[in-house]
Amino acid sequence: MYINKLTSPILIIAYKEICDSSRNRWLAFMGSMFLLLSLSVSFAGSAVTGSLYLPEIDALMSSLSTISVFIIPLAAILLSYDAFVGEDESGTLLLLLSYPLTRMQILFGKLLGHMTVMLLATGVAFGITAVLLLLLGEHYHKADLISAFVQFLVSSNLLALTFILISYIVSLKSTEKAKAIGGLLLVWFLFVLIYDLILLTILVSDFSFANQYVINALIAMSPTDLYRAINLVAIDGNSASGSLTMLASSDWGLASMYALLFAWIGTLTAISHRIFKHKPL
Amino acid sequence: MGQYTAVNLPFEHNNTGSVMVPPSIKLTDVSLQYNDFTALNNVSFEVNAGQTMALLGHNGAGKSSLIKVILGLISPTVGKAEVMGQSAYTNHQQNCVDIGYLPEDVSFYDKLSGREVLSYFGALKGVNQARIESLIEEFGLGYAQHRQLKTYSKGMKQRLGVAQAILSEPKILLLDEPTVGLDPQASQFLYGKINQLKQSGCAVVISTHELSLVEAHLDIALIMAKGQRRALGSCSELSKASALKITIGFSELSERVKTNAYLQQFYDQGLLQFSAMHKADIIKHLVTQCQIFDFEIKQPRLEDIYHDLMGQSLRSPAEQS
Repeated sequence: MYINKLTSPILIIAYKEICDSSRNRWLAFMGSMFLLLSLSVSFAGSAVTGSLYLPEIDALMSSLSTISVFIIPLAAILLSYDAFVGEDESGTLLLLLSYPLTRMQILFGKLLGHMTVMLLATGVAFGITAVLLLLLGEHYHKADLISAFVQFLVSSNLLALTFILISYIVSLKSTEKAKAIGGLLLVWFLFVLIYDLILLTILVSDFSFANQYVINALIAMSPTDLYRAINLVAIDGNSASGSLTMLASSDWGLASMYALLFAWIGTLTAISHRIFKHKPL
Repeated sequence: MGQYTAVNLPFEHNNTGSVMVPPSIKLTDVSLQYNDFTALNNVSFEVNAGQTMALLGHNGAGKSSLIKVILGLISPTVGKAEVMGQSAYTNHQQNCVDIGYLPEDVSFYDKLSGREVLSYFGALKGVNQARIESLIEEFGLGYAQHRQLKTYSKGMKQRLGVAQAILSEPKILLLDEPTVGLDPQASQFLYGKINQLKQSGCAVVISTHELSLVEAHLDIALIMAKGQRRALGSCSELSKASALKITIGFSELSERVKTNAYLQQFYDQGLLQFSAMHKADIIKHLVTQCQIFDFEIKQPRLEDIYHDLMGQSLRSPAEQS
């Protein structure tokens, strides 16, 4: 074990989290899921049209982000739901706090570890898909394909980061692991399914209040819709179908949307730290 | 001209100029309030280097809160908690290096091996690999060091827990129920290790319900009830504080006592029964007046003292009077 070579408490805790995820097969399982998902969408996605062909980059990214918006938050939740309540239940949270560590170091150590695990799982899975597409898809412009995948990977991991932080908040507030996972599945259901559906309903309806400002605000209020909008704006929204194209109609640029996603991450980090700092022991 | 900075040193000098080492743990009138609930009420005590204190009390008596106050995880609502002469709460980060802690029923990380767990906690305290190797051997975990913790028995996990607590050769060791679920051999092994640490100058606090086990190893016991200090002292001091009697028995006791008026007042049910304050006088009478040299003194056991004192604390003041 190389842990003794590390001197920063954040790196030590991150290393342990990576070991944990590797031992409990989370990394292998989720990596395989992401790989299966991206390979199916890339190489078999056209089967529904009656023929098999490699899709255009825009259509591919649109399909991948449409499915990932459900899977990535769920994977992030499953990875991190017990980050604090699990340690609390096993008595190791109290033990960690008796060590010369600040609560911020514990929080950032866990965050770095979980982020690395997520990056490894998505990076390997989507990376293999991108390499196979480069090898087999002669019609792709290499630079475009690589930049599209990099953009997709970055936005997916930022979305994962927001849900890891939401998991931390719920985990810090929960008294049992079962309650934490239950609460988080409800959060996932509300953000990914219900809120998304409400937003799309408003977009396609002709409500008088639904001007651009309201739509922008509604997109900004959900990290999943920001993720959808980022990926649609990144591909110009042309390949999206139906109501999804309207999400890309937001007059924010890509940079502003990324800034909003970072604002989500910053706010959730601050909330997690505040809750952890005041958590009764 | 040089500038001098005032530094609060934890050490005081006595009249002879020699350095007085502060107590390892010192609590002065500590109270802890959670909204309407009083977890600790005016608790004071000291534990010096090389002393072992047993922390006794029913569930909810305030033992865990007291340990958290010593660890500096909670600031007392009222009073002062000091570790090595420094505030436990405000110097939490520095104090942590000198404190080893084993929480109650800790289950560590099931997917990691014993060696990995020690390496993880060792790295967090900046302990080198050689120390980890020696602890693995010392605690007899060498044969299982690469096995995942889920395959460990309760005794092995507890040995690992104590090894974790002493990773950095602490000056203060806090153990919460260290022998729960252990077989007598494993308990004896743990107390052997605790005694070694004590001899090397470590102050040890053991929170436990297993009074018969801890009795032989403690210097002082703190008995808590409802967040308050019910009693504090060595076994003999606690025995004096309790209403329990010391007993002496030997063959032909009734015959011998008949001739001694002083001893007769303590004779009851075939035994001499008396409180600790009369012990010296009674032994003197037995030896000098009755020429009896072969007798058996039975001191009250810690468990009896505990039940007696706790019984007193649970009784109403009217009943006690």
